[in-house]
Amino acid sequence: MQLNKYSLIAILALSNHALLHAENYVTVDFLQYNENDNRVAVSAPSASLSYDIGTDLNVKADFVNDAITGATPVWQSTTADTSSGASGRVVNNTGDYVYKNQSFIDTRNAGSLLVTRRFKNRDELTVGANFSSESDYESKTFSADYMHYTDASHNRSINIGISGAFDEILVKSISNGGKDRDDDDKGYYKDDDDYDSESGASRKETSNTINFQLGVNQILNETSSLKLDAFAVLSAGYLTNPHQAVVRNYNTSFQQLGDESRPDKRTAYGIALKHIMLLGDSVSLNSNYRYYTDDWQINSHTLEENAYYEASKNLTFGAGVRYYTQTAASFYNASKDHFTDETYASSDERLSQFDALTYKGSVDYKISDNLSYNLGAEFYEQSTGLIATMITTGAKYHF
Amino acid sequence: MRSLTLLSLCLSLFVGCSFKSVKPWQKESLAKPIMQFGGIHEAVSKYEGHVYYSKEAARGGSGVGGGGCGCN
Repeated sequence: MQLNKYSLIAILALSNHALLHAENYVTVDFLQYNENDNRVAVSAPSASLSYDIGTDLNVKADFVNDAITGATPVWQSTTADTSSGASGRVVNNTGDYVYKNQSFIDTRNAGSLLVTRRFKNRDELTVGANFSSESDYESKTFSADYMHYTDASHNRSINIGISGAFDEILVKSISNGGKDRDDDDKGYYKDDDDYDSESGASRKETSNTINFQLGVNQILNETSSLKLDAFAVLSAGYLTNPHQAVVRNYNTSFQQLGDESRPDKRTAYGIALKHIMLLGDSVSLNSNYRYYTDDWQINSHTLEENAYYEASKNLTFGAGVRYYTQTAASFYNASKDHFTDETYASSDERLSQFDALTYKGSVDYKISDNLSYNLGAEFYEQSTGLIATMITTGAKYHF
Repeated sequence: MRSLTLLSLCLSLFVGCSFKSVKPWQKESLAKPIMQFGGIHEAVSKYEGHVYYSKEAARGGSGVGGGGCGCN
């Protein structure tokens, strides 16, 4: 029997899972993301390195820089004195209110380092650290994931993972006319000893998130695999969006534009099911489903189909469609005449009931055995009216 | 009802699946780049994940790594 490249690799690696890591490469990629109505635009170059040290250790590092400009919709006073910046805020509570775009500009830098140790039976332990930094937000995440083969042929594996995310958020409050009590202030209002003089933030808040995931990966036959994961995401701390506002007591003498307020705990569970199969010799069909539910009363379904077609040894086409739907959070309302003195209130449309569709296509061209280029385009549309396009391009070099 | 319909549609994708003991030398097809759960472009998957994270309320199910954002 004549064995080709894939067969040899498969036999040596004993599983397609192990194959994922059995290579050294560098990638550079670029994303251009644009929303309609002059909303958010992001330019995001990224780079990634994966390097095997011997046969039992892999190190992977990546970095991305997001240059973000544009605007996001938020309740504002029609007589407001608005300001731009990373946390451009409305500080005037008088007059009427309108839900319109609030401009901002920001930069995000994020990076991660993953180290994978492979054991004698090809089990894998991956530990990682991730950071993300913006002008008013910082996040550090630490993770560990263990994958264990349950049979000698490596047809089934189970994996268990846990991560902890520790976030710091600089908050500039709308309440009190844009003034807030400093952590270290003996008085009640913002003054020269603001927590962060550059952004004008009056205080720093924190939140923590623990993410558990337990999964099983089963090879069904020579041409298909199934993966099932159960996950839990537990968040605590300041979970409010510091950029969003709500109108309270509208059309009364107590009407006010103030900060939105979300519960300081959020517990979410879900399952994710993935199936991949080969049709003929050159077409793969990847089917994904995710169910999500949390104690903010948000329930969500995500269904995604992706197909790849190997037109030749060097040319691969991809196409996909994704459907997403969610229910509204229990404390969400879009109206300006709804909220009065509720403890929790938000008009952030990301907590509303909506559906979303994504259509995408890609092409991957292999210039040589070591170098390939890719180009992709995606169209994303929400029932909220949000429309976004994503253009991605990149190159991958194996060594 | 819509949730049940979606769930039924999803489960129908797996009808006909059967387990078979696959030997290492029978995994040629499974080793193809187009047969990876994460797709053939990891960076694109990460970009997509970040967009969905910043525009939708649901999260989780795609692994335990990664970081958040203060997405406006």
